[in-house]
Amino acid sequence: MDKNHSDPILEIKEVSKAFPGVKALDRVSLEVFRGTIHGIVGENGAGKSTLMKILSGVYQKDSGEIFFDGNKIEDITPVQSMKMGLSIIYQELNLVNTMTVGENVFLGRFSEMGGRKEVHAKARVLLDSIGCKIDTEKEVSELSVSDKQMIEIAKALSFDSKLIIMDEPSSSLTADEMQELIKIIHDLKNKGISIIYITHKLDEIFNFCDVVTVMRDGHVIATRNIDAISRNEMISMMVGRTIENEYPPRPNSVGEMILEVEDINTKLLKNVHFNLKKGEILGFVGLVGSGRTETVRALFGADKVKKKSIKVDGKFVNINNPIDAIKNGLAMVPEDRKIQGLLLQFSVDKNISLASLGELTYYGFINEKKERDISERQIKALNVKTPSGKTRIQLLSGGNQQKAILGRWLELKPKILVLDEPTKGIDVGAKYEIYLLMKKIVEEGGSIILISSELPEVLNMSNRVITICNGRITGEFDPLLASADEIMAKAFEF
Amino acid sequence: MNKKITTQSIIAFARNNLIILGIFILAIITSFVEPNFLTVGNLQNIMRQFGPLIMLSLGMTFIIMGGFIDLSVGGIISLVAVVTVSLIDPIGQVAALMVGVVIGLICGLLNSFLIIKGGAFKQSEALFLTYGMSVVFTAVALIYTAAAPVFLTYSKTDYSIFTAIGERFVGPVSVSFIIFLVCLLILYIIESRTHIGRSICLTGGNMTAARLAGIPTEKTIVFIYAVSGIMAAIGAVVLASRVTIASPIMGKGYETQAILAVVVGGTALLGGKGSVLRTVIGTLLIIMMSNCLNLLGVTTYIQYMLRGAILILAIWLDNRKQYSEGN
Repeated sequence: MDKNHSDPILEIKEVSKAFPGVKALDRVSLEVFRGTIHGIVGENGAGKSTLMKILSGVYQKDSGEIFFDGNKIEDITPVQSMKMGLSIIYQELNLVNTMTVGENVFLGRFSEMGGRKEVHAKARVLLDSIGCKIDTEKEVSELSVSDKQMIEIAKALSFDSKLIIMDEPSSSLTADEMQELIKIIHDLKNKGISIIYITHKLDEIFNFCDVVTVMRDGHVIATRNIDAISRNEMISMMVGRTIENEYPPRPNSVGEMILEVEDINTKLLKNVHFNLKKGEILGFVGLVGSGRTETVRALFGADKVKKKSIKVDGKFVNINNPIDAIKNGLAMVPEDRKIQGLLLQFSVDKNISLASLGELTYYGFINEKKERDISERQIKALNVKTPSGKTRIQLLSGGNQQKAILGRWLELKPKILVLDEPTKGIDVGAKYEIYLLMKKIVEEGGSIILISSELPEVLNMSNRVITICNGRITGEFDPLLASADEIMAKAFEF
Repeated sequence: MNKKITTQSIIAFARNNLIILGIFILAIITSFVEPNFLTVGNLQNIMRQFGPLIMLSLGMTFIIMGGFIDLSVGGIISLVAVVTVSLIDPIGQVAALMVGVVIGLICGLLNSFLIIKGGAFKQSEALFLTYGMSVVFTAVALIYTAAAPVFLTYSKTDYSIFTAIGERFVGPVSVSFIIFLVCLLILYIIESRTHIGRSICLTGGNMTAARLAGIPTEKTIVFIYAVSGIMAAIGAVVLASRVTIASPIMGKGYETQAILAVVVGGTALLGGKGSVLRTVIGTLLIIMMSNCLNLLGVTTYIQYMLRGAILILAIWLDNRKQYSEGN
């Protein structure tokens, strides 16, 4: 443990919490010291969120003790915990979109603050203290995600927080915005405020955390100073076994041309053009909103476009909707699994058979036996962990849901598979399985377009990388020759 | 399989079927208080009322399973009824019937066209749109008849098919009941075995995901509104045949009763889950309830209130179920 900060702001002793059928936390102990940035990492279901919800008073613990700032805390409500000086900034920010910045900072405390004018004046002081220049009269709905996060931080400061917990704050930030956030986190630290930083991304832990706690299956595996742990150690603690590499060896199976795209033009996209070869993994690098997702959606016929020209196997094809795309050998795993990919209330079987339904239909009738066969085959082939094919897919873990969606498409043996953020929010073990699967697909003659916000993923898996910025293609790289910095420079070109 | 019946399982069943149980209790009370309830005459009366409403409710089931809503069926009933009855003399009864069904179909297609072109893919948007169409259809019926009712029995040519639908029995079952059975069978097969039936559920479950996986969601919308229009037209014919009169406002209020029947039957208002079989039970319960209340001497206005209360209760129970399943 760090000896420089001998006085803990937060002490968690042997805290346990069970839900029906799951032990979410099993005698978890943790100390957070004043003025430190304390990272917490773990796979989905490791117990991070449960622990935070106990701290904020959303859940009550079953047993154990918690001390905050020297006082034992017992049965608190979220409001009490904020007033004590413990604030949580959730991933899905808790702001009222239709109210102004100032009103959001002092939500529900207008009279305490002395009226509207005072509210805005005090919000101004707080925002200035973190170097944020947003007008306090502005409506929150007009702000970017990163600006909204600043307001959450200002709100936390307005309670004189001694400890701020940030739950995966970086998941929707651009690299620039992330730099801003890191600066603010350091400022807060210098003011003596402690930060608990929950994340999936190991780079962030190594970049600015002082201490890191690794959690797995409701246990704290270890708490270490950041200079006393290596990346590989951390990963093996998270998954409970040693993973030699995060990525499989890069596939090397590029063949002749399969897809030529010219002149995709929409409101956002300008003359987007690229090509894809048989057996190739082509990576798209760009920010959220750069046009990377819009490009593949236009290719797949998901959105209407002004103009586009697409050649598959050297022949011009007309793709006006997803059905046309599927007929021409395309498949797409969309970016938001729960909203665009899954039918959450339906069984695993029905989710897998979805894209093959046309082929299972004879004179309008579905052959249900064949449907089950397809599902069984894909569940087995992709190692989808589910009690049965009839289980509602909602009950599966993120990784297994994603594998089911992949199975849905692989059944059709697509020539071109588009993967938009295929590993978002899924744990390290399942990620590796998906990488292996991608390798297998291209080695068997398929082609993949890979979009990911995680640059290392794109760089390690792709044969070729294209950068997109502001709706234009800004560069093309061989990831073996180009450095990450060069590629990022093109992706941020304005 | 042997399932043990425990107190807990009975409580769970009661909680999941609260409304069904409530109406059964009402029926039992009624049969004690009012011995007329279980007479052949009254049961036939229930069966006759079942006729028009079940047709609409069956069509509405597909609409709601697909995640949409159709408030225009009341207007379609009025329009189809007046046009069909008034055409018996000029073009004959068979042609008049066919024109009636085609008008229902066209109304349904018009709804779906406006929904797709207008991008009204949310249930709330479809609600307003079809409400507007209901007003339009009723207005057309009013203009067509100059707001006067059309009497079936004033027809100078043969109208025996209508009489058969309205009054005749084949053995112990009424002709309208046979029409219902045929419709139910066809819709049930579509729902449970076919591609379009599955597409309805998938569209109601998650339209975005279904579309991206190659399910023809727009065709599905066209299909469910077409079916709803046709079923409303059949309902209109059954209704006009029974009361031997067609008025340009006779369909008013039927749309809410149909939605009530579907939801009480247990089809999820949010879409994705449900069955025409459930709707048969729902419709039966709604009609039985109003029959019981009539026999007990409860006034129509209080009955309206009870219907509203039951709809709210059904939606509340369904949401609670969805919520507990979501966790």
